[in-house]
Amino acid sequence: MGLRDILTGRHEVKGPAPDRLFAISTAYVTLEAEHQIVPVGSAAIVFQALATSEFEATLRDMEEVVRATGGESGTSVATQDDSYGYRWMVLRNPDGAPSVEDLAVGINAVSGSIETAGHGERLLCSVFAFQDAAKRRIYFIYNYKRGFWYPFVPDPANAQARLTERELQIKAQMASEIPMEPELERWFPLWGIPI
Amino acid sequence: MAASRTSFGKDTGLQARMLLTLFLLGLVYVIFIGVLIGVGAGAGLIVVVAGVLLLVQLFGSDKIALATMGVKEVSPAEEPELHGIIERLCVQADLPKPRLCVMETSMPNAFAMGRTKKSTTVCATRGILNLLSPAELEGVMAHELTHVINRDVLVMTLASFFATLASMIVQFSFFFGGGGGNSEEEEDIMIVVLVSVLVYAFSFLLLRALSRYREFAADRGSAVLTGRPSALASALLKISGTMERVPSQDLRAAEGMSAFFIIPARTKKSLMNIFADHPPLEQRLAALERLESQLQGTA
Repeated sequence: MGLRDILTGRHEVKGPAPDRLFAISTAYVTLEAEHQIVPVGSAAIVFQALATSEFEATLRDMEEVVRATGGESGTSVATQDDSYGYRWMVLRNPDGAPSVEDLAVGINAVSGSIETAGHGERLLCSVFAFQDAAKRRIYFIYNYKRGFWYPFVPDPANAQARLTERELQIKAQMASEIPMEPELERWFPLWGIPI
Repeated sequence: MAASRTSFGKDTGLQARMLLTLFLLGLVYVIFIGVLIGVGAGAGLIVVVAGVLLLVQLFGSDKIALATMGVKEVSPAEEPELHGIIERLCVQADLPKPRLCVMETSMPNAFAMGRTKKSTTVCATRGILNLLSPAELEGVMAHELTHVINRDVLVMTLASFFATLASMIVQFSFFFGGGGGNSEEEEDIMIVVLVSVLVYAFSFLLLRALSRYREFAADRGSAVLTGRPSALASALLKISGTMERVPSQDLRAAEGMSAFFIIPARTKKSLMNIFADHPPLEQRLAALERLESQLQGTA
């Protein structure tokens, strides 16, 4: 933010950073082979849904596209709004085909059409769901503004608590495989992830 | 639909007004400095004192204000919804997460404090948490975060430095005026005091105007950040509706903090808008309505 922006109080929302979403489609191989963290076959993209007819039309077109491209792999799309007013578009692979590549392609199609419509600044994050040997959910969250990933492990025993130790272990294990968010204070939790 | 299309247009008018205000303020200050140097009347000491005061104001005012207002920092476990709203807005605005505080009063309001993005405190009253829906609360919080992004505390403190200096000179002259010295020196002091009064009066009006423009900018920033201008408009309506029903004693006790609030706590309507540090509600609602129509593509 330049001096002139500060003086005039001008502020525009940042658009997405250079895309590093596809880092997950190679990193999951290491996760699975070396750290026994396996994909559960679902991913979601979270964004602010503008209450305009134009944006709604973009969303409808987009769902069509994802359904069409997911036709071969059988990826299903579901939409839901959370209590904060953000929209989740959830992509699920059919059972027995937990392909992270297909999910990343689908998520990228969604973010791509939102950006093409000129609303790239509405994208919040994408979430890819995994689980470890203890059947504990492990999420990889991609922050569009920053272009970085971070792990999020909610505590299964306590609501609104996270297992920071596990997250830091994953960071150490995966830092060379996936662009990790370097600032820990930006590892924002997402409670009640529907995948 | 072109890829360059954005949800909102630019508000060049507001920026131009803000720059003009800053320019006029600078002009007043330059004249003031010129007179001080020209007269050379032991103003050095006053400048040093004012400089120290400025530093205290910049580095300590938020802590002093927070300590005197009786706010309490809240953890994510205590206020999960508020933390959730702020966290998502921080991702959206690419900001580090501020400290979150709650003030246990039924008066609905919110404010942000702190010089830099890293040392910010956002505070909401219990009243506003109870009154607003999540979307409205998000709009109010985005307004406060925009104050942080725009560095409004820093800008307003620096912009008011010479106004503070001028008012100090006027006050000093009342305390120490009329002492001995020859007539030429007294004449010089008279000039400095007179100029200080004028500088104070002009810069007061300009600072109030600047403050109002920065409120508009924060409303706009909130709309851009959340993509929901009407949610903030609805929140402003709800808050202002309640403000009038709150017992007046409560309001008097809160009067001193009004500069930090999203809607100032006042029982009386100001006679003239040029003295107000917040723009009138109707104008804020009209600006938000324009943003909503830009968003809907009907403007």
